[in-house]
Amino acid sequence: MVHPLVLFGGACLWLVPGSVGRAPIATQGDPVDYSRTIRPILAAHCLPCHGPDEQARKAGLRLDRADAAFAPRRGGAAIVPGDPAASELWRRITSTDADERMPPPDAHHQLDLAERATLRTWIEQGAPWRDHWAFVPPASPTPPPGAAHPIDAFVQQRLAAAGLRPAPPADRATWQRRATFDLTGLPPTPEEVRAFLADESPDADARLLDRLLASPHYGERLALPWLDAARYADTNGFSIDGGRHAWLWRDWVIAAFNRNLPYDRFLLEQIAGDLLPDRDEQTLVATGFQRNSMITHEGGTIAEENLVTYAADRTKTLGEAVLGLTLGCAQCHDHKYDPISQREYYALFAYFAGTSEPAHGGDGGVNAAPATEARSALQTGEEDQLRARIETLEAALADPPAATVAAWEDEQRRALATRGQDLALHPLEVLELSTPNAGSGFVVAERRFVVLERSLGAAALDVSMRLPQLSAPVTGLRVVMHADPGAPTAGWGFGGGRDDKRTFVLTHLSVSAGAVPSTQVNLHRLLGLREATANCWDAAGRPEGCLTTPASDGWTPDLDHDGPVHLTVTFADPLPPGTSHLTAQLHFGRGKNLMARRMEFFAMTGRDDGSALPAAVIAALAEPAEARSTAAAAAVRAHCRDHAPALASQRTDLANARERLAVRTRAFSTLVMDTAATPRTTHVLHRGNYAEPREAVTPGTPAALPPLPAGATADRLGLAKWLTMPTHPLTARVAVNRFWQMLFGTGLVRTAADFGTQGEMPSHPELLDWLAVRFVASGYDVKALLRLIMLSATYRQSSVATAADLARDPDNRLLARGPRFRLPAEFVRDAALASSGLLVRQLGGPSVNPYTPGDPWREISHFGSSPATAQTFVQDHGEKLWRRSLYTYWKRTLPPPNLAIFDAPNREVCVVDRATTNTPLQALVRLNDVQFVEAARALAQRVLQSAGTDADRLDAACLTVLSRLPDDVERTVLARALGRERARFAAAPAAAARFLAIGEAPRDPALPAIEHAAWAQVASLLLNLSEAIVRH
Amino acid sequence: MTPPQVPGERLTRRAFLGRTFGHLGPLALGTLLPGCAGMPATPQAGPAAAWPPRPHFAPSAQRVLCLFQSGGLSHVDLFEDKPALRTYAGQDLPPSVKGTQRVTGMTSHQDHFLVAPPIVGGRRCGRSGLWLSDLLPHLQTVADELCMVKTVVTDAINHDPAITFLNTGNQQPGYASMGAWASYGLGSANDDLPTFVAMVSQGSGKNPGQPIFSRLWGSGFLPSSHQGVAMRPGGNPVPFLADPDGITRVQRRDLLDDLAALNERRAQALGDPDSLARVQAYEMAFRMQASVPELTDLADETAATRTAYGPAVDTPGSYAANCLLARRLLERGVRFVQLFHRGWDQHVAIQRQLPRQCRDVDQPTAALLHDLRRRGLLDDTLVLFVTEFGRTVYSQGKLDDPGAGRDHHGRCFTVWLAGAGVRRGHAHGSTDDFCYNVAADAVPVRDLHATLLHCLGLDHARLTFPFRGLDTRLTGVEPARVVTPILA
Repeated sequence: MVHPLVLFGGACLWLVPGSVGRAPIATQGDPVDYSRTIRPILAAHCLPCHGPDEQARKAGLRLDRADAAFAPRRGGAAIVPGDPAASELWRRITSTDADERMPPPDAHHQLDLAERATLRTWIEQGAPWRDHWAFVPPASPTPPPGAAHPIDAFVQQRLAAAGLRPAPPADRATWQRRATFDLTGLPPTPEEVRAFLADESPDADARLLDRLLASPHYGERLALPWLDAARYADTNGFSIDGGRHAWLWRDWVIAAFNRNLPYDRFLLEQIAGDLLPDRDEQTLVATGFQRNSMITHEGGTIAEENLVTYAADRTKTLGEAVLGLTLGCAQCHDHKYDPISQREYYALFAYFAGTSEPAHGGDGGVNAAPATEARSALQTGEEDQLRARIETLEAALADPPAATVAAWEDEQRRALATRGQDLALHPLEVLELSTPNAGSGFVVAERRFVVLERSLGAAALDVSMRLPQLSAPVTGLRVVMHADPGAPTAGWGFGGGRDDKRTFVLTHLSVSAGAVPSTQVNLHRLLGLREATANCWDAAGRPEGCLTTPASDGWTPDLDHDGPVHLTVTFADPLPPGTSHLTAQLHFGRGKNLMARRMEFFAMTGRDDGSALPAAVIAALAEPAEARSTAAAAAVRAHCRDHAPALASQRTDLANARERLAVRTRAFSTLVMDTAATPRTTHVLHRGNYAEPREAVTPGTPAALPPLPAGATADRLGLAKWLTMPTHPLTARVAVNRFWQMLFGTGLVRTAADFGTQGEMPSHPELLDWLAVRFVASGYDVKALLRLIMLSATYRQSSVATAADLARDPDNRLLARGPRFRLPAEFVRDAALASSGLLVRQLGGPSVNPYTPGDPWREISHFGSSPATAQTFVQDHGEKLWRRSLYTYWKRTLPPPNLAIFDAPNREVCVVDRATTNTPLQALVRLNDVQFVEAARALAQRVLQSAGTDADRLDAACLTVLSRLPDDVERTVLARALGRERARFAAAPAAAARFLAIGEAPRDPALPAIEHAAWAQVASLLLNLSEAIVRH
Repeated sequence: MTPPQVPGERLTRRAFLGRTFGHLGPLALGTLLPGCAGMPATPQAGPAAAWPPRPHFAPSAQRVLCLFQSGGLSHVDLFEDKPALRTYAGQDLPPSVKGTQRVTGMTSHQDHFLVAPPIVGGRRCGRSGLWLSDLLPHLQTVADELCMVKTVVTDAINHDPAITFLNTGNQQPGYASMGAWASYGLGSANDDLPTFVAMVSQGSGKNPGQPIFSRLWGSGFLPSSHQGVAMRPGGNPVPFLADPDGITRVQRRDLLDDLAALNERRAQALGDPDSLARVQAYEMAFRMQASVPELTDLADETAATRTAYGPAVDTPGSYAANCLLARRLLERGVRFVQLFHRGWDQHVAIQRQLPRQCRDVDQPTAALLHDLRRRGLLDDTLVLFVTEFGRTVYSQGKLDDPGAGRDHHGRCFTVWLAGAGVRRGHAHGSTDDFCYNVAADAVPVRDLHATLLHCLGLDHARLTFPFRGLDTRLTGVEPARVVTPILA
């Protein structure tokens, strides 16, 4: 047997006639295809000045329409069909006179000889003109004979014309893995692989597809590209980029795909769900689609400008996501290439400009109007299970194991016994104060008191201080708040409390230290704070509340306390010698002037004399357990339940379960569309400038596309009905193309957002039309469409490519082999989670914050100057660490790094075609991100928990990650790696323990650490294989 | 049967050259194909035409350092010598000067627009006689290095659109940043560091400053391999850089060798050049794990150097520390380094805030210029000291109020350039007596971008990327011009 590589190894680059992308060169005699050949030449060289843009048009000549190009003009018609010599166009493009020459000699694009020859041939052939293919409704082409499956018939006809043959089918396991990734975004489980390979019935493949199409994960997978197109995110985007709540819309999308909502209805509800005659809560939620646009509440911005920006984004998104048209190009002037005038652009814009949405909104984590309270569209049936789980967790926490309580009590008693040991407090000299939004109202008194003369509106207050020279290491910081005659009611602060005693809430405290003074706390060197205590607190304002950034909790003193109150934080590590300066940043409660009046700061040496324990618990702990009163015992137990570190994961689980039950059963706010009582009038905006309105326009659609259906109203419902007319030339083609792209990596039209004249021609125009027509005829049945495509031999082909194949058709546009591409970012992470067994297969719900290094948000955000949410990153715990990636909280100004690195878009604007890059940062994510290191550990644990030899286990691990067994060479490499790592960790057991401590997923303590660590390294090797993230 | 003798390298190279560049990051490519060493025989039409990309003509600068002052730096206080401001202090800005253009919602309600003179004086410096505020005493000593452009004009008047415009050439999100364009146009010039690095520091004048966004160093519609890598101080200066705790370098090396063996074998069997490229990406990642810690370890900097950058140089994440890191990045061939220093948005308390902001940047910036000059790096590095807009000559708030400041002003503001390709000790453009309007030689932001690209040997009109039916470019759709009078 001769290897195909040898056969093709020496073949030189082989140009495929009529290959897509570049205009092929016509030779004499071949009929020149206007759409494929002539229009691209005209578009590139002529249309910028002789196209649809009226403002830019020179000499009153347009060459985008036959009637205009053929029309008699002074000096002769631009084109005289059949007669190049009489055609002014030919004369001009061949003129040697620089004044006459077209394109002008200084133009960026110049015609080359071949392009000129092609134009001449075309004119000689009578200059046959065709309307742009995408603006003409698809005909219903008959599949050519030769293949049973219509898709194969179209594809193979094209291959035959290029002298090519289709590739052999992929093996069944590869096909299964391909199909499973494509329909669920997850790899098949080993059990699924085994079952499928054992199923030899003729309809096994179809049944597999049916099972995948019925999987709840199908909706998640299909939702992902639509979230990109719809620019779904969890923050407002512009400027301060505060949090919003739109996840109910995401739930709606997942549910819509899962119940196979027809695509026309899918659009209808999202564009006009509030206007439908049969509207309900869920069709209203669906309109969140066009509320995913970015908004701002930045104070200085101009209302009119913002409103224009919002509506323009909706228009652009409608164009690229639904129509496949670059409508945005016509915002400032008539479209340069496509028949969309600026006026027509604003007519489309007008459909989206009539909402009651304010120009500034979305601050403080409150959804900008219009919003509605609704329930999730997803029915998951988890509720009973959740209630049972909550009950179990509550019971377990209510009665923690005696040993846990005893250990906690011992720990508390030890701490109490040593509290105040060697304590000394050293006044700090205050050097400088800083707050972002005020220039006065805060002073330093006696070089040690910080005095606020008025409430500063809850902005961050940075206090720069000098440490005295101390022999003992500094272990913490104490902040003392004094009652002050200058404060309202002579209390501690400016607001809250009682009428006779005003107080404060300290919501957050950050501290940094160094050898030089620093006006601002150093965000990169924040000191770890191990504990916060206070000499008193209100039950609703415990001291530890100021260790976290959210303003929802914080320390506030007990109003019945007299005299100064103080909070003490103990540093995780004492300050190193040589530390001479310290900066503290204080955040106070919002809304009610909850700032303190007079503050004083002390460095602490020795141990804090305070305790976070309530007095009653301290008293009870002093007694032997059996001597305590019922009330005292209950107080101890309750405090242990709520605070013992050993019970933290149970408390997290309980909180997560409670939240999940609420998500499943309660109503939440989400952004929706509406129609204002007095909708704004839309004007054509000169050069797109909001400040230069011209003529008023009413909603309407472009003349080059079919007219609105009879009776269509001049609102979004009319627009939606127009989009979903069975005869609409674009909607179905664009949709079918995007589904094709999902399965093949590239659409039949590569420019999925641009079906206009500047977009690429379809690689298989008849196939695209056939699919579109069939899709409409099927009632826009998405599942049926995918099933049809995936049962074709075209989809089933092996993706193995020879060097010659790659040279001939690098992007596989002719489909002579199977599709191969790297998984999208989200599925790279999801696949690792699935293989590891950590994946939490919960459907829908609010977004989550899994592992992220540090707090990158705070470094770029407005934390301390804005009540907006999502200004600091707070990592979640428990099951929220292992949800599918499409539920990861999407902050637009700083998207999750481990997804952005794999080309996830930032969701600021509509994206329908993610690029795929291959970078070293991607390697670092898979090798070092806690999420992936933990997944390797969990996979190793999974493997080790199964019985078998090393070889059996290696096979099982491979099957889990790659859906196939290793070959002998691979087995040898893996076994060698395992042996090596065993030896290494045996020599360094402490290293093994540290490696296994990464990530919060509990580790099975029964597994020997060295063995577990060695297997985790092998698991990491497997999870890092290229094949693990390439769907081939 | 004889096994086929198909060298992997041949499959790799061949497939690379046949594929679009987007499938492979410039980082990985930097390891496989030489960077843009030497001059091309013929200019390239566009980066899609060939890889590696090459400049269109002989560049004056090999790399760029952009010192971005985020929030809107006050040209009125720092770079403009206008005696009229003292004469008119406390009086309404003459309507003929103020004109009818829009002002932001922060001051549009004000009844008066009282001229506020600079908060401190300044002086003409060096042989060039460029005027700099006394708030910038160190920069005053390097005035003869600077090429000031006093007449930059932006279309935007609020932070988000203005900072997005300055960094990406468009006020709306979705476009590629300056550094991403440089990466796209020229590729990498090193083989173990990113092509484009961004670093953020917090301002002492105003904290928090206006928010900034990853789109400012993002790749927009360009492949994401061109996006800037945000470096942060700490154990992971580059995200996910550090090996997991408990894993040694030797262990990692062995794992990568196994990984390469398995990947290469499989890639050959499947005919998958992307997987071969992935092996190279892992190798570069491994090298980065050594080169980045070496880069960020300042132990080999002399005491004299540290002292020159000022006391904050030892504070990780400070502007001063980032300046020193920037020099080290440039030395190692990083194409585009951009610092973002926040806190220049002096709506309030300018008397208090501005001196602190200046203290943050004055000494380190001057030291950096000295350092680059001393090491010869300024000969082929272009430095940009820019901001998104200037500030109003009139006061926001009452003139005698310690809380008073200045509003945003985009009709003219000052930036300066230095180093490769630009004139030294030069000022371009002039403004009116109130530094409120351009008097002569306006420089729209797109011209600044065209000039930046020009210095890198790139023709802004030819450096395009096809996106949504247009050949998109950094300078946008309006005609842009290189500001030739500032070129050396």
